[in-house]
Amino acid sequence: MIRVAHVTKYRGRQAVLKDVSFEIPAGASLALIGPGGCGKTLLTKIIGGLVRPDQGEVWVDGQEITRLSEIELTRVRFKIGMLFQNYALFDFMDVGDNIAFPLRQEGKLDEEEIASQVEAILKEVDLPGIERLQVNELSGGMKRRVTFARAVIRRPPILVYDDPTAGLDPVTSSKIFILLDRLQRQGATTSITISHDLVGLRSICTKWAMLVAGEVVFFGTSEEIERSPTKVVRQFWMGESDEV
Amino acid sequence: MTGVGADRSSGSTGSTGEGERADRPSRIADILASVGAPVFYVLSTVGDVFKTFGLAVYYTFRGKKRWDEVINQCYQIGNRSLVFITVVMAFLGMILIFQSGLQVKRITGDFSQMGAVYLPLLIRQFSPIIGALMIATRVGTGIAAEIGSMVVTEQVDALRMNATQPVKYLIVPRFIAGIFMTLVLVVYSTLVSFLAGMLTAHVYFEVPYDTFWDISLVRWADLLIGVTKTLCFGMAIPVVSGQAGLAAFGGSEGVGWATTAAVVNSSLAVIMLDFVVGGVGFMVFPTN
Repeated sequence: MIRVAHVTKYRGRQAVLKDVSFEIPAGASLALIGPGGCGKTLLTKIIGGLVRPDQGEVWVDGQEITRLSEIELTRVRFKIGMLFQNYALFDFMDVGDNIAFPLRQEGKLDEEEIASQVEAILKEVDLPGIERLQVNELSGGMKRRVTFARAVIRRPPILVYDDPTAGLDPVTSSKIFILLDRLQRQGATTSITISHDLVGLRSICTKWAMLVAGEVVFFGTSEEIERSPTKVVRQFWMGESDEV
Repeated sequence: MTGVGADRSSGSTGSTGEGERADRPSRIADILASVGAPVFYVLSTVGDVFKTFGLAVYYTFRGKKRWDEVINQCYQIGNRSLVFITVVMAFLGMILIFQSGLQVKRITGDFSQMGAVYLPLLIRQFSPIIGALMIATRVGTGIAAEIGSMVVTEQVDALRMNATQPVKYLIVPRFIAGIFMTLVLVVYSTLVSFLAGMLTAHVYFEVPYDTFWDISLVRWADLLIGVTKTLCFGMAIPVVSGQAGLAAFGGSEGVGWATTAAVVNSSLAVIMLDFVVGGVGFMVFPTN
């Protein structure tokens, strides 16, 4: 479903992603972990076709996307729902219009159906009846859930969550992970989740990839990462530090 | 190479002989880089502007338009610029007529042709360029700041992930509104400037209103050139400013750079287009 092959990306003369390769089969859920600034968000943007790599190939649903034009990428992006790290909610729209935006762009449903889907997804994320609120009236946690609702409302076959629980309280975080799990089961979605909440990730992810300084230092299953002999992986997994 | 390396690593601070020769290629490379970087930046910006313009024209004629947003942008452009343009153009009209009136008084003392000469000048040159520069300053910054802040807060990425072309969604409504409202504002600014000039001529030089209000020297060519310039400026300002916004990066500092780039680049575009359209106009419709 998603194949990343030898992807390298430079910022200036510095490689921020170095020869990154992995494959996520259809229906699998990948946890992308690693310390801050290691290139996780950049990698998801490359998979979404928002950033072009300097080297390597990215295959999404059987199509190589790194050489596609913006118009050709539009068709690929319809298959992907993305939850952005910084919410990326449209501040010139209210909550309802933000969530309805992907459906309106798709153009398959009439306004009545769109409104009922928006209402339903808002109930699902525990924010019923806030359609007419403006984005600047929401708390960080509410914004995160609205972003989540917008990402999943079209039920795309591929979902990319960039830190879906950042800034949320433990109860809401747990609810979000339950939602992710439900979506995964309902739609056989292929997903990539970036998070530092390893407990939450363990509940939904079947595959793990760890990036350190732009390089993949681990790729494997949950069992394999638990038993990984690599020091940096073990330390990250156990939350240990070299410093005493 | 080894010899040169040895010389350089020997740490001789006195820069003589081979040490100097070894430094030369890197100095040349540095000079080339320092010249090349701004040239590359200018060329890539010009390329991006033309690409954005091409896409804006393409999407203006293809696909569904956000007419509600076009109307909103018309209101924004008009509302943002009206007071500014009124004040600037009124003062410009007063200054131009007062200064030229002083010269006329000193040389011939005949004020009968003052309005007749001033109006074609306004229509053909002053109103389009001064009006467009005002719009570039007032509206261009707004466009760049809005789009730039959307870029740095990932809203433009969110648009793209929802299969929406940023140029189509954000620039095309401003492009259509820009063409229409620049024309409206330039016509308005011509009127304001002419009326302010007429009042000045009457108060300071006792020129009767009906003498000043003389359209006999206005040719169709003046109108055609004035309108062509205005339409070109109306297309250029939203495209150049919008492109500056889309090229924003980083955080609030990036938005600041984008707004500065929008004003500088739009103003340059207006002046260059004025030269090109004016030149073509003079070739097609030569003055006597």
